[in-house]
Amino acid sequence: MTAPHHATGVHTVIGVDAGSANLKEADHLIHRLMDQLALPPGTLACSHLIRTAPRHRTAISLALPDPATADAIWDRLVVLLAGPDQPTTAAALSDRAYGPPEAAFSAAQAASEHSRKQGGRAVVYPGVQHMTGTVTVAEVLTGTAIDRITVLGTPPDDPRGPDGSVRVTTRDHVRPEWRDEQLVLTLTPAPRGMLAPFEVPNPTPCCADHS
Amino acid sequence: MTHGHGHDHGHDHGHHHHHHGEDGDAGSLPPALDLSVPDQELTPSQLSRRSMLRRTGLLGAGLAAGSVLAGAGQAAAASAISALAAGGSRGGGLLWLAGDHHIHTQHSSDAKYRVIDHVRQGNAHGLDWMVITDHGSETHAKIGVEKVNPDIVAARDKISDTLVFQGLEWNIPAAEHGTVFVHPGKNEVAVLKEFENSFDGSVKAAGANTPANEALAISGLNFLADAVRRRKVKDALMLANHPARKGIDSPHEIRGWRDAQPRIAVGMEGAPGHQAAGLPAPNGAGSGRGIYDNSPSADSFVGYPLESYRTWGGFDWMTATVGGLWDSLLAEGKPWWVTANSDSHNVYADTAVRGPNSDFNANGRYNDPVYGGGLNLTDTDFWPGQYSRTHVGAESFSYAAVMNGIRSGRVWVDHGGLISGLDARLKGGGNAVTLGGVLQVRRGRQVDLVIDIALAGGPNWAQFVPALARVDVIQGDVTGAVSDKDTFTTPNTKVVKSFEVNQSTGTVRLTYSLGKVDKPVYVRLRGTDGNRTAVGLGGAAVDPAGPAMDVIGDADPWKDLWFYSNPMWVLPA
Repeated sequence: MTAPHHATGVHTVIGVDAGSANLKEADHLIHRLMDQLALPPGTLACSHLIRTAPRHRTAISLALPDPATADAIWDRLVVLLAGPDQPTTAAALSDRAYGPPEAAFSAAQAASEHSRKQGGRAVVYPGVQHMTGTVTVAEVLTGTAIDRITVLGTPPDDPRGPDGSVRVTTRDHVRPEWRDEQLVLTLTPAPRGMLAPFEVPNPTPCCADHS
Repeated sequence: MTHGHGHDHGHDHGHHHHHHGEDGDAGSLPPALDLSVPDQELTPSQLSRRSMLRRTGLLGAGLAAGSVLAGAGQAAAASAISALAAGGSRGGGLLWLAGDHHIHTQHSSDAKYRVIDHVRQGNAHGLDWMVITDHGSETHAKIGVEKVNPDIVAARDKISDTLVFQGLEWNIPAAEHGTVFVHPGKNEVAVLKEFENSFDGSVKAAGANTPANEALAISGLNFLADAVRRRKVKDALMLANHPARKGIDSPHEIRGWRDAQPRIAVGMEGAPGHQAAGLPAPNGAGSGRGIYDNSPSADSFVGYPLESYRTWGGFDWMTATVGGLWDSLLAEGKPWWVTANSDSHNVYADTAVRGPNSDFNANGRYNDPVYGGGLNLTDTDFWPGQYSRTHVGAESFSYAAVMNGIRSGRVWVDHGGLISGLDARLKGGGNAVTLGGVLQVRRGRQVDLVIDIALAGGPNWAQFVPALARVDVIQGDVTGAVSDKDTFTTPNTKVVKSFEVNQSTGTVRLTYSLGKVDKPVYVRLRGTDGNRTAVGLGGAAVDPAGPAMDVIGDADPWKDLWFYSNPMWVLPA
């Protein structure tokens, strides 16, 4: 466990609501901001489902290593968002807010959920670069910020989790979630006796109306 | 009678004793089932259906002796002819008609076959009725909904022993898809078109999860009810398709549809189509059965667990979970029925490809498919009737009777031809009811469940004879309306009896005594080939050997077969 932030990380987690329609858009937003803001190693970026009116959407949060870094990133973010050709985006850090109040509120919600480690699906986290191809359960737990693995479906979940030697086919897409202050990865049985993340990289889109 | 067929049809193969015009003349039978039609007057395919039925020894016996059960192998005729036991509260016999209410053609942007391709295939695979359900869309509303109709009318005429309904796959505002279909008639297109233009979530850009869009869905159902009330169409039904696929059919929406128009919105897919999608790569799509491979989204219902996004033994989590969402409706005493369909768009290992030089947006359809020269190994679907079947107890071979049968819940479903006939009755106090029925008895009366099953009796379309390993009786207390419309569990439903069967031919009779019943309860049935089971999500005390969660990329649908019945209730007074 190498998560760089504190449970009371309200001063280090920036929330952003760009009105992303789904997880894929949120992932793209995170990767774009990683580049454009030159976020430091150790940053932990999550997506958050916002189920409030007027339109359900997906917000993101960026947990920075310390308050000073968060302040610096905040300043860069505000400049970026004020630039030309930027989609309407809101952001929040601690008591600071930027953008339309409604969206700033959901940005703050995302930041708060992440600060408390009670919610958020991690897209970028320490060790994520190792989560490609096939790895072992032990490698997931020792090489990344992921604290715990659970297995859904058959065979029934063993409370101790799967054996460290079990192979995990990552599909290059491993998205653990904050749950009770732990970063938890949910796996399911996969072909050839392996396990795989529950979340599939490119889920089948709704088939209607995409001619 | 419209569209110029009915009394004068039958030109293809000479003599016809039967027609199934849109007025649904009650009591007429397809020629293969009608013993007044001699063998020599049947076409080869009709004769083959009759032979199938004779082989199982059920034709004639079922009709003449009023025997409890008849059933069938693969042919439509063979899936027919059941009569309720003597002493039943219903007079006369039921025809158990196999069908599919979820089929796409070249009028869907993601499909390719002609109507007649599906109808010929469905007929050959034993279907007695089918619903053509192309996707609602701007293009479909403008062009496809009209253009498909002459093809459907022609198919009705050409394939006389399969009923072909026109419907559409509704993008339910704020929710998933649903089958909407109407009784044939002169306004079938007009009603569907107006419905689509006014209430389709795609046409109206009303897909987002908002209260206004949820209300639009209800308005759509009200429109259909009104069209029936004003006799613009003789009948209309809505069934929710792949309800748990993306987690966006919340429990309160499902209750909302049902409660708004309980005679129109009558059920959901207990099992989604696209069942070939789980075949392993590289000779299969390597996805999930039903293409259930999603995760929670901002539009999904917050309470649904991750488990709900996968199929279980090929069935949707809402249906497969004992004590789950479906049971929570049944425990309220709300009729809500399950079905199983193909959702056929592109058939696994078929060789057809979309017609070249197609312009879907301009023409409302793809050009007719052509031979592609290769095997479509990443396609995900079966032909209608090839794998999934919805069996409806109908009072006659007619459009109206199929719709009535569905509305009444006289429906059971199977995968892979696991069984060929099911007749289940609740008996007590001198009365009996079948699937979908309510047995009213005096408090404290003895009530018995009598189940007759015709086993597979012959090979399915994967060329093996499925063996029925086990039948489970699932029973629950009827506890009345829930205050929280988002309820999706119920505490007092569980497997109360399991019968080991382990047979693949002949018939079996199973009986289970509910004892002296002094409170309202319901029962439903489930059966399996026993290949893949797991402790249910509610624990071993609720469901010790239920369906297992299907593995993405490793789920051969032929190796994990289940059947489900709809429920029957007992109401002591």
